[in-house]
Amino acid sequence: MWTFIILLSLLIAITLLILLFEKVMGGAEERTITVNHDTLIPVVGNETALNSLSNNKIYLPSACGGKGSCGTCKFRLIDYHEPPKPTEISFLSKDEVENGVRLSCQTKVTTDLKILLPPGLLNAKVFQSKVVKIERMTYDIKMVRFELTEPMHFKPGQYAQIMVPGFEEDRAYSIASDPKNPYIIELIIRQVPHGLASTYVNQVLKVGDKVRITGPFGDFFLHEESTKPIIMIAGGSGKAPIRSIIYRLIDKGFDREATYFFGARTQADLYLTDYFMDISKQFKNFTYVPALSHLPKEDDWAGERGLITDVVGKYTKDLSNHEAYLCGSPGMIDACIKVLKSKGMKEENIFFDKF
Amino acid sequence: MKLLRMKYTKWFQTLKNGISSQNPILISVLGICSALAVTNQVENAIAMGLGVTFVVIASSSTVSLIRNFVPSKIRMVAYMVIISAYVILVQMFLEGFFPTIAKNLSAYVGLIITNCIVMGRAEAYAIKNPVKYTFIDGFANGMGYTLVLIVVASIREILGFGTWLGLPVMPGSWINWVVLSIAPGGFFIIGLLAWGLRSLTKTYEE
Amino acid sequence: MERLWDLFLASILSQNIALIFILGMCSLIAVSTSIKNALNMGVAVVLVVTLTAMINWPIYQLLILTNTTKLALLVFIITIAATVQLLEMFIEKFLPKVYNSFGIFLPLITVNCVVLAISLFFMNREYTFAETTVFAFGSGLGWLLAIVLLSGVRIKMKEISNIPKGLRGRAISFIILGILALAFFAFTGIGSA
Repeated sequence: MWTFIILLSLLIAITLLILLFEKVMGGAEERTITVNHDTLIPVVGNETALNSLSNNKIYLPSACGGKGSCGTCKFRLIDYHEPPKPTEISFLSKDEVENGVRLSCQTKVTTDLKILLPPGLLNAKVFQSKVVKIERMTYDIKMVRFELTEPMHFKPGQYAQIMVPGFEEDRAYSIASDPKNPYIIELIIRQVPHGLASTYVNQVLKVGDKVRITGPFGDFFLHEESTKPIIMIAGGSGKAPIRSIIYRLIDKGFDREATYFFGARTQADLYLTDYFMDISKQFKNFTYVPALSHLPKEDDWAGERGLITDVVGKYTKDLSNHEAYLCGSPGMIDACIKVLKSKGMKEENIFFDKF
Repeated sequence: MKLLRMKYTKWFQTLKNGISSQNPILISVLGICSALAVTNQVENAIAMGLGVTFVVIASSSTVSLIRNFVPSKIRMVAYMVIISAYVILVQMFLEGFFPTIAKNLSAYVGLIITNCIVMGRAEAYAIKNPVKYTFIDGFANGMGYTLVLIVVASIREILGFGTWLGLPVMPGSWINWVVLSIAPGGFFIIGLLAWGLRSLTKTYEE
Repeated sequence: MERLWDLFLASILSQNIALIFILGMCSLIAVSTSIKNALNMGVAVVLVVTLTAMINWPIYQLLILTNTTKLALLVFIITIAATVQLLEMFIEKFLPKVYNSFGIFLPLITVNCVVLAISLFFMNREYTFAETTVFAFGSGLGWLLAIVLLSGVRIKMKEISNIPKGLRGRAISFIILGILALAFFAFTGIGSA
């Protein structure tokens, strides 16, 4: 009897306490993120902004899965005066820091935040997919074909993220498939030593496996309104977005001149060569130039030899009215930009995707 | 390949994290109070370890079951009420069936309520994961905790009392390392174990 | 009076709740990275421990009267949570400067084993109200002493020595605490619980 009374008074006490909580504390534990001045995201506990947003189905790109090693999860905060953390400083320019740009994976939501996100980002969604084909392209590159249950409408050149199961981490790869078919996503994945996703894809992934894909992301894509002739430079797995772009160009009957410079080290790194050669035979406007930089002299090779920057320099004259799409390592891209500019190409016409 | 595929499953990673790469005592530095106080004898360590494992599995699973219905403002209170209920159960069980152990552990059983591991898993995992994974997470963390407790207690009991689970294991001429049977001994052993596990799994701090 | 003084001394030194009973370790290790934080956390603990012990004692007498001591654990933890919450609200509203210094530690203290332990200890040892208050206050001070000592050593160590990689961060606290605990054994016999 007494036990019952005590329990009851306890319950009443708890209820009163809760009401007091809500009234006076005003949710000390709960914060909100305001996106683009209208959407309110509730945040529970001590999460990073990246996780809080993705828990609410807003997906910021995150190539390294929130580890602070890629810098792709940048977002912009309004009225934010915390200095950047040592882990994010290397990814932010001085202007970005001043404008309140930070890495969302390094920003813990300790107070209410107001952020601005590009509207395109809010289109990125999570898709369920099934692996329908895995093809080995070279000794360290595979192409995987995913069939989605819902369409992902992407622009040629954009990228998507696949989630490595178990570890529940995302990795980013450019989309290599034809944007005409939004139910198919093809990714070209190169084995990176100790890479989380590349090890998963190379050693474990099987046809029939279900994989979670998020996308589309990125502001590297073909500018279709333009009529300028195109220079494309990409090596290794960088061929992916270029292939997607070329699909779109084929659809439009290749009404613009385009040259694709593919840089590789030796013949073992070449793939899809015949495919691109065939396209260049089919369309007068398209030229495919594979170039090998580390080919032993005695090897039989009718194509170009040397560094890709030299080959580009050799094939081009006046680029003042051209557009360029580059995909590769930061070093390669910087070197190519130098060459292109030396031929008169304007900065605003150069588009690149740095790995 | 089958074994390798297992590595990429959520249950495997959850299990591995709880026991080793994010071992609650040695890596995350949680649940220390009880780990130090009850590890002077293996018998007590096993009892405490199993007690905590039961509470963490039961409370985390309960929290996970109701995770979509708990308003975020009162979740802390909810955790405490749920955890207290299970701890009282454990207390009654021990007093009923193992009174000596209950006496040895005395207040520390009640303190399982404030054991950071139990509260920690509820807040970090149970509130946002389905029950089947929460169960594994609770089990893994509980086991990680219990294993460390047993290792520490074994070292402390063998070197500090010359026995293991009450059975003499050291030769009669053994002089007990009394320092290990008191609190500081616990600190040192855990410190050394933490050093070992962190070096092994290469999870360093700052 | 002498009894209370003995108890007070014992609770700070020979029965130090952190170094002899090894309670409140999680927060002890977590908040010992700067002396200022350590001090603030310690003060918060003293306040909460004393207050909750003083509140739980009459409630426990009620439980004894109604023969429901089985619920002691549950009742204690709930009053602790409530007290801390109310304390936090009170301080935030009326003493904002104080709130800025240690307010953020208050929610952490609810789950600090020390607070619950003090209540369980006075229950087990059947202390009077005066004894409970003195014991709680002394224990809080003892914990404050421990955390400040730990921070001091940790900070100095980080500055001037080359700690092995596996021990960096919080792990070295164990070794330091072990040595501190050993040192406190020198106080055995001072006062009596």
